[in-house]
Amino acid sequence: MLILEVVLTGVLLGGLYACMAVGFSVIWGVTNLINLAHGSMMIIGAYITWLLATRAGIDPFLTVPVSAAALFVFGYSLQRWLFNRVLGTTLFMTLILTFGLDMVLININLALFTADVRSITVAYSSSAFEFGGIRLPYTRLAVFGIALLLTLMLHLFMNHTRMGYAIRATAQNARAASVLGIEPRRVYAFAFGIGAAMAGAAGALMAVLYSFSPVTGDSLTMKAFVVVVLGGLGSMHGAIVAGILLGVTENIVSGLLAPGYRDAVSFFLLLLVLLLRPRGLFGNRYLADARI
Amino acid sequence: MLIGLLLVLVVSILAAGPMFLGAYWLRILSTVFMYAVLAQGINIIAGYTGYPAFGNVVFFGLSGYFTAVLMVKLKLPFVVGLCVGAGLCPLLALALGPVLLRLKGHYFAIATLGLNEAVKELVSNATSVTGGGAGISLPLPPWGPADNAMFFYYLLLSAMLVSVWVTWEFSRRRIGLTCCAIRDNETKAESMGLYSTRCKTAAWAISAFLTGLVGSINAYWTTYIDPPGVFDMAIAVKSFVIFLLGGPATVFGPVIAALFLELLTTLTWSKLLNWHIGALGLIIMLVVLLFPAGLRPAWRRIQLALR
Repeated sequence: MLILEVVLTGVLLGGLYACMAVGFSVIWGVTNLINLAHGSMMIIGAYITWLLATRAGIDPFLTVPVSAAALFVFGYSLQRWLFNRVLGTTLFMTLILTFGLDMVLININLALFTADVRSITVAYSSSAFEFGGIRLPYTRLAVFGIALLLTLMLHLFMNHTRMGYAIRATAQNARAASVLGIEPRRVYAFAFGIGAAMAGAAGALMAVLYSFSPVTGDSLTMKAFVVVVLGGLGSMHGAIVAGILLGVTENIVSGLLAPGYRDAVSFFLLLLVLLLRPRGLFGNRYLADARI
Repeated sequence: MLIGLLLVLVVSILAAGPMFLGAYWLRILSTVFMYAVLAQGINIIAGYTGYPAFGNVVFFGLSGYFTAVLMVKLKLPFVVGLCVGAGLCPLLALALGPVLLRLKGHYFAIATLGLNEAVKELVSNATSVTGGGAGISLPLPPWGPADNAMFFYYLLLSAMLVSVWVTWEFSRRRIGLTCCAIRDNETKAESMGLYSTRCKTAAWAISAFLTGLVGSINAYWTTYIDPPGVFDMAIAVKSFVIFLLGGPATVFGPVIAALFLELLTTLTWSKLLNWHIGALGLIIMLVVLLFPAGLRPAWRRIQLALR
């Protein structure tokens, strides 16, 4: 029964991974930026939720939209006023730029919230759904549900709204899109905002389950990357399947085999996928050659 | 000829440095030399070969740990630790190269980043050998603090000269030219009969050797290392910034840029105690935004403006 519980908890964790990965995927796919500050953006979302939950006593699940909205504004302005200046530069530039941003965000978080490890406890934290000896906490079930809902909403947004069409058109061919009256720079800013908002929401959800501090963001960035590569860039259901795969593998390794190697798992999964199927499980093409 | 004379002049001034510099400036210059070597390592694999080895700092940390473990557990002298550390890193690159170098662009960059994270975790968990997350203290050098500053100054200066010489030789030999061809168009290079995997891997091994060399020296210099400190991505990114500032695929660029960036950060961030991570981040972002093509075009612009 222990194994089943470990696997099911991994599945639930996978929902959260999918949610953080689709944000990363939108930013990467549209603006061609590998956002190394993605984890730190999640941590900002987590702190917003933590503040509202501990100081104002609001239920953490109700603060998810607040975190998402705050991060949307942040991401939008960032791309609009800063990253749009370096469009079309080399890969080195974008990696370094977002890493510099990551350092700034970590320092801001350290200065505002100190290096203490924080966590959120709610009244129903310890109550769980039980059947046949398996315990699944309600908080984990709720996080899974909301994460999947957000991922689905992003999917609908990208496929059924005018802005979604514009974003996808720009991702395919910015020049052709601008001929059709779409302004790429505005679309880039919007796409980065959406990606950041997903990071903020995922961070808020993560804060309910795990303790966090300003420096825990980096391994989250790595996981988002692994899920995106695993599932295939730009594929929503790929992200969900890959997220669940990563969550289950991580849980099995750290829960049953070797507790210390939780983060190393993602690297070996990544390596395996890159070598066997570089385009990911559901990706259409290998994008490494596309634009460097 | 003129460049040769200038080179001799600069090297002799640097060699005479300890005669007129205090311990503070010796330390800063030693750091400059260390980053110049790290940037040179990135220059070889990213500048000449076109593979952004973002997580190259893995060799820096690994070599430091080889040195530390050999000196602490087996009581071997530093020279042995240095040779083993700098010698094993290229072997690791040779083993992983044919696998990882199949990836390109973003994928390769993040795969090396993941390699760094995985090795960091392995080292943190192998507590019985490496001391785990608590880190490991190396034996103190047998000489006094003044001699110590001088020893590491000369050691790192020699490492930098070695790295410049290696890059110089690399850039004009067959292997360097092959790597340039791979960078410019890998498919075409292969169809011309060049063995791309072999050359890419060799280039990465050279890069790993340079990185491992200073990683080992750094461990003995700081006398204490722990996994987050030596497998620190900030070190990797800083050397990447230096590499970019100096101009990819130039022999002396990384050295000049290391001096520029290190002095810039020392003059600004050393005064900001609680904000030094953020200040370094801001400097990195500003440098990328202001000098997207490196220092040389900016220098040209200044020359034109003064004319």
